[in-house]
Amino acid sequence: MGKEKTLAVHDLSFDYDTRPTLRDIDFSVEPGVICGLLGPNASGKSTLFKLINGILKPKRGRVIVEGMEVGCLPRSAVAGLMAVVPQMTTVAFSFSALQMVVMGRTAKLGALGRPSKRDYRDAEAALEDLGVANLKHRAFNTLSGGERQIVLLARALFQNPSILLLDEPTSHLDFKNQYLIMDMVRSMTRSRNLTSLVTLHDPNMAARYCGQMVMLKQGRVHRKGMTEDVFEEGALESLYGMKVSIENGPQGKCFVMPSADSRASVLQ
Amino acid sequence: MTFLALCAAVLIALSTGKYPIDLATLSKLFLSLIGPEKTGTSLEGPALVLWSIRLPRILMSLVTGAALSVAGVVFQSLFKNPLVSPSILGVTSGANFGAALALLLFSGSATTLEASAFIWGLIAVALAYQIGKRGDNTVTTMVLAGVIVSALFMAGLSYIKCKADPLGQLPEIVFWTMGSFNTVSWKDAAQGGSLIVFGLLLSHFRRWGLNPMALGDEEAMSLGVDVYGRRAWHILIATLMVAAATASCGSIGWVGLVIPHTARMIIGADHDALLPYSALLGALFMLLMDTVARILPGGEIPVGILTAIIGAPCFGYLLIRNKSRAWSD
Repeated sequence: MGKEKTLAVHDLSFDYDTRPTLRDIDFSVEPGVICGLLGPNASGKSTLFKLINGILKPKRGRVIVEGMEVGCLPRSAVAGLMAVVPQMTTVAFSFSALQMVVMGRTAKLGALGRPSKRDYRDAEAALEDLGVANLKHRAFNTLSGGERQIVLLARALFQNPSILLLDEPTSHLDFKNQYLIMDMVRSMTRSRNLTSLVTLHDPNMAARYCGQMVMLKQGRVHRKGMTEDVFEEGALESLYGMKVSIENGPQGKCFVMPSADSRASVLQ
Repeated sequence: MTFLALCAAVLIALSTGKYPIDLATLSKLFLSLIGPEKTGTSLEGPALVLWSIRLPRILMSLVTGAALSVAGVVFQSLFKNPLVSPSILGVTSGANFGAALALLLFSGSATTLEASAFIWGLIAVALAYQIGKRGDNTVTTMVLAGVIVSALFMAGLSYIKCKADPLGQLPEIVFWTMGSFNTVSWKDAAQGGSLIVFGLLLSHFRRWGLNPMALGDEEAMSLGVDVYGRRAWHILIATLMVAAATASCGSIGWVGLVIPHTARMIIGADHDALLPYSALLGALFMLLMDTVARILPGGEIPVGILTAIIGAPCFGYLLIRNKSRAWSD
């Protein structure tokens, strides 16, 4: 209660030209536990993501990072505090995985700089931390979707941020890699006490990995708080607009699916 | 290894031509610069050819080749597209227009010609940049703005060709737009050349930053790059180089597109190595093309023609043979 949160959003509103997109968004994120950003399509998740990252400027309200307003900081300062793992990256040119990761140090190089041998060694270590050092000389675009996400995660961690933003990290991954990447995110969040915000479309992923949640519906905060408080049938039903039931599975995990009495169809 | 090839090419270029100078004479002439002995009258002819005509021409072609290649690399990274050439923002159309204008109105003055080509090349790019910036400042918009500006200046060029005197001015204009090094004097080499070298050095020092910029605007911003500022800076420096090169020698196409590709195939996409290597390769290529243009039986032809005739099939061959995937689809 008196401690300055690493990431806080205050009364944020944003419009794309005339289309109102986000209204009065207000929440903060605790470090050490992944925070899930949930919501259906067109709820404003991606827009909120770009606002937090400073790519877009809010019409009203502020994004506060480590006590400073993002809009007032130069890009290199923001990059020193926040790292982003984008949803998917295809690059027009054939950089190696190591070259991609070392770009994480861009903000600390200065205008004339280029990475030193030490930077390249540290980048290799970042790949090792995630168990993919063997990929270092492979061309990034020849890697599988899962391998690419891991390399991008390595790059984000190489930036040495206090805040990690992940934009739908599982949406292009196969079954195993979805869990692999989220396991890595969780373990890094814990061990480095990061403030991690992950947009997820699958509530089951969110339930499994996120200790805190923000639910976004039609541009407004629907629910926010610790998972055990907000993750319940009523909240999810009004969020996704469908009947759901939450079952308790083995080992105390819960999973969500469309409600048993909807005749195997979500259409109502 | 390419560097050795370059040195060899320079030696060959120095000794061949309409007035061949063998290596022995060459070394005597160079030694006379640093040694105390004065050359005898028998060496006056070769000395004139070497110092006044051949050396500035060779230096200019080296520097121009490097400039066009480096500008090509920079633009390809800025626009995240390996099919981009330095003329994408209109510098070549602007320079052609400026040169034609000078030839039409002030024919006879080489200085006016060069100044006009240079200035109009810069105007064209400034125009394209402003249009792109006031649009949404994305790369696509800027490319379209370049297309618009190029079209405008090409129309202007065609108009000038209509109005030009078909016996004197029109051939001059047409010849100029084909690109040639045969009018390069020491003054050209000094003025244009020093501006180009200045641009090359600046681009060299900031080359690594092109890596994150090649990933895309949002990703580069997330990594901490001041995308809009860097883009403007790189466009300015590259345009200065290309405008200076074009002003001195006319528009030479193809080099800025093919050499970056070839360099990328050989040495990879990391700009740390790519930029200096492209400069080297471009210098070598240009020197070879110009030397061939000079010694061709039947008379000299504009080098711009040669770069296309020889460059295109070479590149086609490389495309077929080399599957190293220096870029992706």
